[in-house]
Amino acid sequence: MTEIKHHAYLFDATRCIDCRACMVACSVENNIDMDKTRIWVAGVGIKGEYPDLQRGTMVYHCMHCDHPDCMSACPVGAYTKAEDGPVTYNPDLCIGCRYCMNACPFGVPHFDYDKGIVDGAFIDKCTFCPQRIYNGQEPACVQTCPTDALEYGDRDELIKRAHERIAAHPDRYIDHVYGEFENGGTSYLILSHIPFSELGLPNLPETPVNEVSEKVMKMTIPFALGWGAVLTGVAAGVGLYNKKNEEKAAADDKAEVKK
Amino acid sequence: MTKTISRRDFLKLGAAGAGALALGRMLPPKVAQAARDAGTISAEGNGFVHSMCEMCVWRCGLIAKVVDGRVVKLDGNPAHPHSRGNLCPRGQSGLMNTYDPDRVLTPLVRVGKRGEGLFRQTSWDEALDLVAGKMAEIKNKYGAEAMVFSSTHNLSQPLFENLLYAFGTPNYGTQRSLCFNAMIVSNLMTYGMEEPARLYDDKLNYILLTGRNLLEAISTSETHDLSAAIDRGAKVVYLDPRFTKTASKATEWLPIKPGNDLAFHLAMLNVIINENLYKNYFVQQYTVGFDELKKEVSRYTPEWAAPLTGIPAETITRIAREFAAAAPHALAHNGWRTSNFVNSFHTQRAISILNALVGNWNVTMTAAAAEGAGLGAPAQPAYPRVSALRLDGVPWKYPVVPFKIGVFQELRDNIISANPYQAHGWFISRQNPIMSLPDRGKTLEAFGKMDFIATVDIVMNDTAWFSDVILPEASYLERYDPLLPVGDKAFIRQPVIEPQGEAKSALWIYKKLGERLGLGDYFQYTDEEDYIRQQLAPLGVSLEEVKEKGYAEMPEGEAAGFTWNTPSGKIELYSDTLAKVGFPGVPTWEEPPQPAEGQFFLLTGKIATSTQFGTQNNQLLHKYSEEPRLWMNSQTAAELGLATDDWVEVTSEVGQIHTKLLATQAIRPDCVYMTPGYGHLSKGLKTAYGVGASDSAVHVTYTDPISGGQALSQTFVTVKKA
Repeated sequence: MTEIKHHAYLFDATRCIDCRACMVACSVENNIDMDKTRIWVAGVGIKGEYPDLQRGTMVYHCMHCDHPDCMSACPVGAYTKAEDGPVTYNPDLCIGCRYCMNACPFGVPHFDYDKGIVDGAFIDKCTFCPQRIYNGQEPACVQTCPTDALEYGDRDELIKRAHERIAAHPDRYIDHVYGEFENGGTSYLILSHIPFSELGLPNLPETPVNEVSEKVMKMTIPFALGWGAVLTGVAAGVGLYNKKNEEKAAADDKAEVKK
Repeated sequence: MTKTISRRDFLKLGAAGAGALALGRMLPPKVAQAARDAGTISAEGNGFVHSMCEMCVWRCGLIAKVVDGRVVKLDGNPAHPHSRGNLCPRGQSGLMNTYDPDRVLTPLVRVGKRGEGLFRQTSWDEALDLVAGKMAEIKNKYGAEAMVFSSTHNLSQPLFENLLYAFGTPNYGTQRSLCFNAMIVSNLMTYGMEEPARLYDDKLNYILLTGRNLLEAISTSETHDLSAAIDRGAKVVYLDPRFTKTASKATEWLPIKPGNDLAFHLAMLNVIINENLYKNYFVQQYTVGFDELKKEVSRYTPEWAAPLTGIPAETITRIAREFAAAAPHALAHNGWRTSNFVNSFHTQRAISILNALVGNWNVTMTAAAAEGAGLGAPAQPAYPRVSALRLDGVPWKYPVVPFKIGVFQELRDNIISANPYQAHGWFISRQNPIMSLPDRGKTLEAFGKMDFIATVDIVMNDTAWFSDVILPEASYLERYDPLLPVGDKAFIRQPVIEPQGEAKSALWIYKKLGERLGLGDYFQYTDEEDYIRQQLAPLGVSLEEVKEKGYAEMPEGEAAGFTWNTPSGKIELYSDTLAKVGFPGVPTWEEPPQPAEGQFFLLTGKIATSTQFGTQNNQLLHKYSEEPRLWMNSQTAAELGLATDDWVEVTSEVGQIHTKLLATQAIRPDCVYMTPGYGHLSKGLKTAYGVGASDSAVHVTYTDPISGGQALSQTFVTVKKA
């Protein structure tokens, strides 16, 4: 394996047989509670009408975005984006506000309603198996995949591989590597034979959502002050207008009496 | 159209009924001393141990990670040809079999009525004395043949067979007639071997799968090979009444009418012979009986097969031509089941012959290596001569079924009918016949005929629940088994942790029983390690080395040639053996029975997250399995006023079950499907009990007269709202 500068996954929906070995492997590797999971199956499942049928499922976990919305939404800095790819979460800092859940366009972080402040770790999501990848192993989900639907490696390498695969079988794939640019780029890259929306993936612009949101957030104070000034002006104007109207009405009343 | 499953929906399905237990909270630390001695586990109880999976019969190599004396993760062993670094979901879940809270950890003796589930704990001495005493009593009173032995394919089976042959009974039940007797017997008649090995090299470019759902019935390396072949652009034609995951990846899915796979394959042979598409030199040199075959299949035209199979004649013709053109880089996979009828033997013969006609021997198919060749074994005396007839009709009713394979459902039926004599005791190891045999009511009736039933298992499965004594076996992560040769290596299964409670290995249990029965000479090993040392002796390799590496190198076997262990020494297109006992010597059409108006074919099949009848209680597999429901075609369901998640009543001529419905496009309108292995009776299986319904409660017993295989798809049912 070449040196990995940016850890990434490549998922090929044409190879996935929905066997769920990845999910079990993740649950065991990371000692996940029996009623929780960090990987799940998404997608349209079977579509079409008998006997003209197609199947589309994908294994869904954290996309490890290059511009993570969860991180920008987190008011206490519990999320970190590592320079080499993984987006990680520090349970000790989390206050359980769930902003990250609302911010993530992929619906990845999930909230643990059973846990309180004392237990910590309100949020659970894929960690990229740091205990494995920094010890020369593949992430648990990738290592066990019996059909190589999940692969692991350097992001640039995987993007190259994905495009080569599309070029070799243009009839088989949609000519797009999801995650190469979506949301500013993700470390979970996806190849598919059916529209990505049917795999349960959102249609996102290339500009990361958080880039827009961060700009907006930065403008909050000037905007608030500016808007405040405008509103003050409007309020003053309305007050003046009302006062004039009242005066006019009073004058009219008097005129009426005179009639 | 674009309705997708959200994570929350997924969890709702997956976690149904699961206890909110994290793995780490229930694993007692107890690392195997042997692994410590071998240096694979440190004094602190950390390390990695090479061993072998037992979640199905594929037996992948694994590497178990141990932390603080607990198994915390299993990974596929990259050096093992069956896993190549991967494990399927069952393999990944394996440690939950070991740490199942429902494990039986001491010998148990029944105190209530059978099926009440009341047992008392006892010592091994008392339990073994009791079992051996009862077995001896039955032998003295009624003869050794009054004891029935049954076990499912596993690595300690040679020692199980040792016990039963030394005991002197001919009555041996295996699971094979419930699964793939048709495939095994047809290959024996054609190639002189049970199952030729399949070769997936880079040139393989045409694969014909007849109900072989390899992407759900996972055999890790073969599943990977098929997936890689598809990825590379090989053509895969897949016959199945259901749109399975394999169907979704195949180049061409043919939703064939159940029972008519034979018609399809006879028409394939017809086209290949009629159009001279077979490999003439191969047929001339290496086969016998071509003329008899040609004469018989001349009447099976694609036009004849079309209305039977529901596949257009031109499609059958095209596939036959494509298959022959791709040969010898073409493979017709025998498959195991999905569409098993009383004509299945002929179907399997036709598939075996199809491969022979296109000359793919030693290209995509070859001789499988003999199990155990090259290894040593303890010395032992000859077995006593057995003169009693077998209860399962081999060979007096099923003359071509091998003794070691048998006809299990017939054995059960003749326990009930006492034909030709009454059986009185049943010793069962690692098998769950109450769930696996068709017509569960009958199996329970057969249990009722028994004076004594003893079961060896790791959990309280349904059969244990109805037994008199339960002997707790160590799980596959807790014990040694005999070595398994694969290619040029012999792999070891060794304990990663010490057995929990009082659990013991099968090697130990059979030896102790043998000694108590006066058969100690058949078990000449002091313990499990001694047994494996004797196996390793001819190789000159130490056990310590094998324990560390996970395998021993073996001398390369001879390269497969062009000889076959048949009476003629050639591939038998026409079988004199079959003809002599009154069966057709070449594949011949037999009309399968049809469901009556308002009835459906009841299909069963495999899923990636369970193995037969023994893994439903595994909490990890339970967590990630879909809720078992009865599949019915959406249009058909709508016509019957049924919708997904409606409770339905499913009735066959032998039983009735209640289950939830799944309306789906992915099945023929004349079929319904259910996943076998659910609907357990044992309340000792706390995770699995109450989940789904049992296929064996409705399956009717029909036996293929030639191979003895249970016709699993020949059950017809009615379905109505419950």
